[in-house]
Amino acid sequence: QTAGWVQCEELCQQFPHGITDQVIQNDMPHLEPQQRAMAINKLLSLGQLDLLRNSSGLLYRMKDMQSTSKMKGSDNQEKLVYQIIEDAGNKGIWSRDIRFKSNLPLTEINKILKNLESKKLIKAVKSVAASKKKVYMLYNLQPDRSVTGGAWYSDQDFESEFVEVLNQQCFKFLQSKAEAARDSKQSPMVQRNSSFATSHEVWKYICELGISKVDLSMDDIETILNTLIYDGKVEMTVIAAKEGTVGSVDGQMKLYRGVNPVIQPTGVVRTPCGLCPVFEDCHEGGEISPSNCIYMTEWLDF
Amino acid sequence: MTAQEVRLCGLLLQEHFGEVVAKVGTHLLKSGAQNLRTIIHETGISLDLVKKSLCVLVQHGTCVFSSGRKAPGSPTEYRTSCDRILRILRYPRYIYTAKTLYGDTGELIIEELLQRGDMTMSSTVKTVADRLTQNMEEGRSMDYSEVSSAFSKLVETHFLQRCPPMAGAGTKDSGTPATPATPAIPESFPDCYRVPHVTLIGRGKRRLSNEDGEDQRNAKKTKMDSETHGDEGIYWQVNFERFHLHFRDQAIISAVANKLDQTSSEIVRTMLRMSEVTTSPTATCTKPLSANEIFRSLPSSYNIPRPILDQYLTLLVDDPMEFVGKAGESGGGMYVVNLHKALANLARATLESVVQERFGSRSARIFRLLLRKRHLEQKQVEDFAMIPAKEAKDMLYTLLSQNLVQLQEIPKTPDYAPSRTFYLYTVNQLPTARMLLQNCYKTVANLIERRLFESKESKRLLEKSQRIEAILASLQASGAEPEQLTEVEEMITAPEKQQLEALRLHINKLDSAENQVDETIFLLESYVNSTATS
Repeated sequence: QTAGWVQCEELCQQFPHGITDQVIQNDMPHLEPQQRAMAINKLLSLGQLDLLRNSSGLLYRMKDMQSTSKMKGSDNQEKLVYQIIEDAGNKGIWSRDIRFKSNLPLTEINKILKNLESKKLIKAVKSVAASKKKVYMLYNLQPDRSVTGGAWYSDQDFESEFVEVLNQQCFKFLQSKAEAARDSKQSPMVQRNSSFATSHEVWKYICELGISKVDLSMDDIETILNTLIYDGKVEMTVIAAKEGTVGSVDGQMKLYRGVNPVIQPTGVVRTPCGLCPVFEDCHEGGEISPSNCIYMTEWLDF
Repeated sequence: MTAQEVRLCGLLLQEHFGEVVAKVGTHLLKSGAQNLRTIIHETGISLDLVKKSLCVLVQHGTCVFSSGRKAPGSPTEYRTSCDRILRILRYPRYIYTAKTLYGDTGELIIEELLQRGDMTMSSTVKTVADRLTQNMEEGRSMDYSEVSSAFSKLVETHFLQRCPPMAGAGTKDSGTPATPATPAIPESFPDCYRVPHVTLIGRGKRRLSNEDGEDQRNAKKTKMDSETHGDEGIYWQVNFERFHLHFRDQAIISAVANKLDQTSSEIVRTMLRMSEVTTSPTATCTKPLSANEIFRSLPSSYNIPRPILDQYLTLLVDDPMEFVGKAGESGGGMYVVNLHKALANLARATLESVVQERFGSRSARIFRLLLRKRHLEQKQVEDFAMIPAKEAKDMLYTLLSQNLVQLQEIPKTPDYAPSRTFYLYTVNQLPTARMLLQNCYKTVANLIERRLFESKESKRLLEKSQRIEAILASLQASGAEPEQLTEVEEMITAPEKQQLEALRLHINKLDSAENQVDETIFLLESYVNSTATS
């Protein structure tokens, strides 16, 4: 019996593409079908064989030595879990989802995950969306952007300063372009058109500045430029562009331009009441009133 | 008529007409239309004083009267409204505008009319001439005809209008139906802007400085002056709406100058000037003007060639603020100024400015984001604004608590379970503008109260300084020696002088702050009113 499966193993090694039951039978005619089955099962449980099916029947194939050595000592459940994690690719998979897919109880899952982690086969990556949630993926994979948050996150922390710096740099670039256009004293149409910059131009400028440790895509720059629009400092138009023009996406190009504010800060914010944090509580005769308002006193003596 | 508006009206009436009028006025504001007996009964003020207060209020157009509603022949009822009283806050701006447009003469005409409520043309001209003569050098005086021509110009450009003739009060004629509750609109009368033919020959009279006692006699003399000039019974008042249109145009022009450049704002100014008489006050946009007409009407100092003008007009049309719109192609292109849209944009900029100054530029970013995108979830706000989740949440909740941002629930299931509901943040411009307007009224009332408080605190000191000034003046007039004068001057100590100076600065600051807040009030009121009509 013991020789049976060793011989099967050798046979498999001889034929790396896999062998059918017929081949084993031919090689070891003295082996009973039952014994054959037992030998195959033994090899399967050792994790040295892969069971495949082709048009003519079952196929037994030697597993790749690398992966075999990895999985040595693991049992089926672990293999299953590993398979599920591998399938999740670089997006990773949450432990609860592993449970759904494998139908294993939670305690088993946790044990297996700990095991696999210690063997350095998988790793846990904290998702940026929910800081308590951990997704698992294969050890050597780069996590996908949606998990790490992309260029704006480093180790789960939103890089506010970095975003701020980029914001200011983009604005300076657009502002100086607008000023140059104004000083050129050409006809108004030409002035306005030359004050525009495409998102591609801004992207190139930022890349050349070299202030970013990570690579920024044009989409990243466009999200920064959008925040400038929400700051009221920049406006955007979209023009049609020929396919293949540098910086065009889907036949369109986005143009950005620095703009001036349309009014000065309005009258009411120049008074203490306009900025007062206790405005609602203030009335004549109360604890807080115009007569004893400390903000007014400060403002009057300014 | 909100509580803040009533409070502000009360303060304004008190400052301009005194406590009794303020009491009667605020009472009418709070209780609606009432007849004389009820007013006396509820305010506890004597008949005589109530009558005088009502006279003052009617004279200034803040109170209207009409026959009782219960039955024809029932006692006349009196009614006030907040709007007219709130205009008092804007008097300085009206006077200043008249000065910039029509010089000192225009300024004084408007000032007199605002102070008196309504006057005939002849009395206005005489009073203004006297006042101007007072300030001129010795031996010179102001001719009536100059003042009359300034007056006529003001009427031509509709800044002044005739008061609508009062329907006979208390008609005993049972055949006449009760006068309608709404006061007659001045412009419904055909002669509204017709200058009457007056015979006014003469010059202003200078008042001599030692005629204190004679002033009283002179005043009495004018009343008994039986000189008639052909315009008895025709009273004139200031046309506030016209001033408001002027302010609105100014706001639009300066917005264009800020956003684009000087030349574009000049073009818009020309367009607005051309549309002054053809556009109704409540119109959404001006009547279409062709590029040819605009080109011809540009001021001669702006010598821009025709194709360049076309470029400027195209740029104005393309601008996202949409100040100017294109209405057609004839005549080289027909253009309109989008009045209501410009007001909405200015109101929006005002709201954004308030959020920015009060809560910081990142909250302002969130506010502008919500204005653009209408409805957003919490997560989307964080992503678009690129603000970390914790801080974004904090800012959104602050804005929510101040009612600048609203929360809209969209349930996925009928039971409104929180885990199965969308919560969307949104900003509604119009209700937010209204709320801010009320805050502005409260702010102005606060400033006025503080000003009154400061004066009251230093009342003793003010009285002392006034007494000393009077003593100084009389000593100087009777030819005293310099030592005596210095002795009197030194009765005010140095720290007291400092205190007086500080007080003066405080009062000035509060005054100018009131005017600044009034600018915000004007923009927001115009915006809110424009949405009511469109």
